[in-house]
Amino acid sequence: MTQPVEKRTVDMQIIGDWVEPHTRVLDLGCGRGELLDYLVQTKHVSALGVDLDFAKITACVHRGVPAYQGDMISCMASFPARHFDRVICSRTVQELHAPATVIAEALRVARSVTVGFVNHGFWKNRLDLLMRGRKARNAVYTTAWAESRPANPVSVADFEDFCAAEGIRITRRAHLLGDWKTPCPALPNLLAGYALYDLTR
Amino acid sequence: MTDETQAPAAPASAPPYLAADDVGLVARQDFVCPRPFTFKNGQELTGLTLRYETYGTLNSTRDNAVLICHALSGNHHAAGWHTPADKKPGWWNNLIGPGKAVDTRRFFVICANVPGGCSGSTGPSSINPVTGEAYGLRFPALTILDMVRAQKLLLDHLGVAELHTVIGGSMGGMTAMLFAIEFPRLTRRLLAMATTAREGAQAIAFNEVGRQAIMQDPAWLNGDYAREGGPRVGLAIARMMAHITYLSDASMERKFGRRTIQSREQSPQLSAELAQQPTTADFNLQFEVESYLRHQGQTFINRFDANSYLYITRALDQFDLDHAYGSLEKAFAPVLAESLVVGFTSDWLFPPEQNRQIAQALLRAGKRASYAELATDLGHDSFLLESEELYALIRGFLERAPTQTLDFTI
Repeated sequence: MTQPVEKRTVDMQIIGDWVEPHTRVLDLGCGRGELLDYLVQTKHVSALGVDLDFAKITACVHRGVPAYQGDMISCMASFPARHFDRVICSRTVQELHAPATVIAEALRVARSVTVGFVNHGFWKNRLDLLMRGRKARNAVYTTAWAESRPANPVSVADFEDFCAAEGIRITRRAHLLGDWKTPCPALPNLLAGYALYDLTR
Repeated sequence: MTDETQAPAAPASAPPYLAADDVGLVARQDFVCPRPFTFKNGQELTGLTLRYETYGTLNSTRDNAVLICHALSGNHHAAGWHTPADKKPGWWNNLIGPGKAVDTRRFFVICANVPGGCSGSTGPSSINPVTGEAYGLRFPALTILDMVRAQKLLLDHLGVAELHTVIGGSMGGMTAMLFAIEFPRLTRRLLAMATTAREGAQAIAFNEVGRQAIMQDPAWLNGDYAREGGPRVGLAIARMMAHITYLSDASMERKFGRRTIQSREQSPQLSAELAQQPTTADFNLQFEVESYLRHQGQTFINRFDANSYLYITRALDQFDLDHAYGSLEKAFAPVLAESLVVGFTSDWLFPPEQNRQIAQALLRAGKRASYAELATDLGHDSFLLESEELYALIRGFLERAPTQTLDFTI
């Protein structure tokens, strides 16, 4: 299972390029703090992670990344507007119960919000459903439906429609092909395996 | 803090104090403040003594000290054994020792009994050298800040240049927070557990019931009771009530359920008959939980002073960082320490929400702070829990290298 780790690295590099040095960054669903640790080391950010799991908070504390155990909405609600420079929501958006609320709250507490997600409009994911009639399973979503957390499959087109409807400005996009490395030249909703967006109000 | 969280280890071939990860036999020490100590309320006390213990060795740069702050009924004896015959080790022996989460091979661990206490530090039961009698209610009004300032004098005396970490649960968490606020350059890391930034109405209410039990006891005599006498009934009741607030519904149910004393001594059929057909009202011991609480009360009166209980609970009541500094963010503004706050899901004395608020305020003030919440059903006393998860968290916080940047205020 080296593939997910490699894919994580690509994600990290693109987000790392977007993050300005010496800024305040909040990572929603920070896991063991790998991304924030990378940003602290490369961009000297002032980091905070949020996660629900005690063991993951322990891992963050152990590597020196400040982390908050709890619900991301109530965590953000405890901060004044624009407390952070950037909120990162990488691969979490599909597992949220209320993505619109989370993104709105993130846009309140930070100037910009980075959202990264697996594009369920990607042709292979479409084929899974069309040909096999099965839930898409891949390097990120390895489990069967019954073992999955609440998933909200989102596509590039869905997400861009959402931003337009909510009046959210997209300042940057990165679409990657199915290898999650090569930039996607065209038709991202069909050809991109992974998408990253930088949002602002 | 309960008395029975530390069950003595099962008898092994070697006595427990000789275990490789135990600090072993330890000695109490006394520090006498060289100058009169001025309490927050302005009153002075000459010869203020703090009883303390240390484990491990202070390094040459004098920056490996870890200060342990005890809770309401705790004391300086945090780890190790005073004599080979001791039934129990110090109250946090599971955490402190060679190779344990607070590793005494690496850290110089200090724990002192607070002023106002009754385990060797000067408190209301101490003799006032001027009058030759116990201070009683003439002891100065006590605050958590006084505990912090007195312990700072001890640290100076010990030559501690920097506190690697200050650790405390419950009242100890308040003390630890105040250390980071009042002595920011001294305090590099703060670990506060099962605590609050502001003693709430419910906690004050519990303290008041305890105080009333003591003060309504005819033997209290306005605090001027004889050393061996005093409001023993009132103090025991205060302890029984407080003890309930340290546990939880689930843990008491698991430990005692509805088990009765009779059911252990009589046949089940007979006790069932007794339960169905009580011939006379019976207010003697029936349930195991009653017996347990009475035992807790009895144990407590032999080791704790009623006036100390009044003074320290009042100090807890007065603790309100919001009010004392204008707001919680202002209170935490001077903090340079990196902080870790830990809440416990079943703690209903200082619930997770109150611990979360501490972490949130530290973060709003631009500090490096983490919040972790351990799922446990053991109530407030969970911070003393023997839990590998908790040890891993504490070890991770204490042992990683310090960060270069310390002030993240933007």
